[in-house]
Amino acid sequence: MFRGLWRRSGKKRRGRSKKAIIITFLLPELILLITFVLTPIVGTFVISFQTENGYGPDNYYKVITETSPDKALVLPKNIESLRPPPWGALIHNIVWVLIHLPLVVFLGLALAYLLHEVKGSSIVKTIIFLGMVIPMIVGGLLIRFMYDGTLGVVPLLFKTLGINSLAKTWTNYPQTALISLILGSVWLWTGFSLTVYSAAFESLPKSYIEAAKIDGASGLQIFFKIVIPLLKHATIVVVVMTMLWDLKIFDIVYVSTLGGPGGSSNVMALVMYLYFARALDYGRSAATAVILALITLIPGAWFIKQVMKSGKEKR
Amino acid sequence: MNALTRTGLAILIIIIVILAIGGGYWWYASSQPGKTTTSPSTTTPQTTTTTQGGGGATTTTSPTTTTAKQVTITVIGPWSGTSAEYFKAVIGNFTAKYPNIKVNYISKRAEDLAKTAPLQFAAGKTPADVIITPWAWWIVEMAKKGYVVDISDMINPDDYIGGIVDKVTYNGKIYGAPFTMWLKPGFWYRKSFFQQHGLSEPKTWDDFLNLLDKIKQIPGIQNPIVTGDGVGWPESDIVEHFLITFGGPDLQYKLINCEVKFNDPQVKDIFKNKLVPLIKNGYFSEPIEWTQAVDEWWNGKYALYFMGTWITGRVDDPNDLDFFPLPGAKGVVGGADYGFIPKFTDKMDAAKTFLKFIATEGQMYHVAGPAGKIPTYKKISVDKLWKPMQSVYQKILNLGMEIVPDLDDSVGGDWQTLFWDQLKLLWAEPDQVDQILDTLTQQHPACQSSS
Repeated sequence: MFRGLWRRSGKKRRGRSKKAIIITFLLPELILLITFVLTPIVGTFVISFQTENGYGPDNYYKVITETSPDKALVLPKNIESLRPPPWGALIHNIVWVLIHLPLVVFLGLALAYLLHEVKGSSIVKTIIFLGMVIPMIVGGLLIRFMYDGTLGVVPLLFKTLGINSLAKTWTNYPQTALISLILGSVWLWTGFSLTVYSAAFESLPKSYIEAAKIDGASGLQIFFKIVIPLLKHATIVVVVMTMLWDLKIFDIVYVSTLGGPGGSSNVMALVMYLYFARALDYGRSAATAVILALITLIPGAWFIKQVMKSGKEKR
Repeated sequence: MNALTRTGLAILIIIIVILAIGGGYWWYASSQPGKTTTSPSTTTPQTTTTTQGGGGATTTTSPTTTTAKQVTITVIGPWSGTSAEYFKAVIGNFTAKYPNIKVNYISKRAEDLAKTAPLQFAAGKTPADVIITPWAWWIVEMAKKGYVVDISDMINPDDYIGGIVDKVTYNGKIYGAPFTMWLKPGFWYRKSFFQQHGLSEPKTWDDFLNLLDKIKQIPGIQNPIVTGDGVGWPESDIVEHFLITFGGPDLQYKLINCEVKFNDPQVKDIFKNKLVPLIKNGYFSEPIEWTQAVDEWWNGKYALYFMGTWITGRVDDPNDLDFFPLPGAKGVVGGADYGFIPKFTDKMDAAKTFLKFIATEGQMYHVAGPAGKIPTYKKISVDKLWKPMQSVYQKILNLGMEIVPDLDDSVGGDWQTLFWDQLKLLWAEPDQVDQILDTLTQQHPACQSSS
């Protein structure tokens, strides 16, 4: 009987010390998380509902229905046709995703495939990866000069080709400002997708490809039927991270065009900034931030779901 | 982990979250300046200061601080690079006069300051003891929130160029001390270039158009006028000069206050019949980064450059430099930098001594160098100015040009960036002039409040 009691109290003690260990390990992270992540989030959410007359959804209504070209989320006023931009910051973000995302996925995949097992490919990969390493503010300046009518490589290229309508400063014109920034950011971000796909290629089981070759599959068949399905997880990472990058894009727009001319390259993060630093309207800035966060949650939640699904599959 | 452990852990986490948020809110609320001061009218100086001449010793009735002790104040200003060097000459003279006050200068653009300082003020802190900024509207915004010290007892508006102090006055109280000012008098050119090509300053609008045509024919010239680009502000200076020339200096004031709207027929006429044809005919270049434009213009790629007087300090030979306004212009845009004291400084006396200095005699040391500025303090005579600036200033006086406030600096806020951006659009799409003027009218804060 005594032995039984001793065993039970030992179990209890072990249980308590286990709890203490868990709490000890969790506490520092929890405190950091609460101080630097949770509190600002809650604070932003609260501020987004603060108005001159107390609390209410006014800020959200005003942000969504704003029609000034520098702050409109959907369609600005005084725009007679849908072409060229401005179309509103949210629409610009969507255009950004629609053009930038496929290009980054395609280029990263194609380059990784082409450079896979090629001698000296690491040098090329390093050069492409440089775009990822440089600070985004510098990246924005580089984009600005890349499209400069007198100094830039892009207008010079078109001048050489005899296409004078494009031999101008792209960031100065509403027709070309947005696309120039999107293409510039392809250059900056392709290094990321190339790195992810390169790592994924390294981990591909060679036996699958060899077996397919023995069965007489062509190169294209191997690529589309075996390689691409095996790269599913890498593609999810690239797609989600690129979407988040596109939705949160700020630095390069701020430096290159400040959303202009005429709001034609404006994006949501810049609208949030303008409310904050220029209009000194923290309520609307916070409301824009919350809207932006909710939009970015969509790909974020999907990503987490995919990761958890793949975790279950592995188990 | 059994169910009991999980529940216990969950409760613990919830308690920590509640405590952290509650504690954070309590700390935030207790540090709110509103708890002690509710309106700018109550932000009176905490101490009275008398500055003695000669040795520069300062006595004070304040029990908290005294500038007789060695004290270091932090000053934030918008100048960097060579411009900061010109300002450091002012600081040097100040510390020579007041050896017991050391000055730590930090360079910060108005734009960057506006991002961080309001939050620091809201938390009852200040990044500097004296802050200098060209954004008068921002000082007033901060004063409205009760963050700025009332310095009405330090500044006599009659001692300053007309209208300068008004921009930092709110509810009859003065919150900013004017420092030196720049002017945007017209199109700058190289005398040697004009001599070489037999060109002369225009006397009429037709002369001006003929001059542009002549310049266009000169080999090597890309466009007669180079358009500077920052985030759009250089275009706003050109536009304001056209508006003042053809609408008179009064129009500038009326546009600031929305007594005249941007889509008013008078304003539309100036845009459509004077400015837009010049843009369409390629007399203006594409907007080029404004410092790069200085070099290209100086090296002969362009003949004329509309810029402020600070350009005198940015060229190799300021004696080869001259300017002309649009024929008939009776106004010149001028803008000043202003210093203010955040109410959260703990070195109030020293800050006031410094602010008083830069608002008065200190201006002399700034205008004596190649900063391209003139004093706002009327007691400093023109012969104290840097030589190239003396001739510029004299020319402005001879032309009988009245100094008027900068339009977008006066309106300020997010409308200023909108104005710059819409003008960038005008340069790219001059046919959209009607939509642009409508947008500027609809978003103008004074027009919104009047409607």
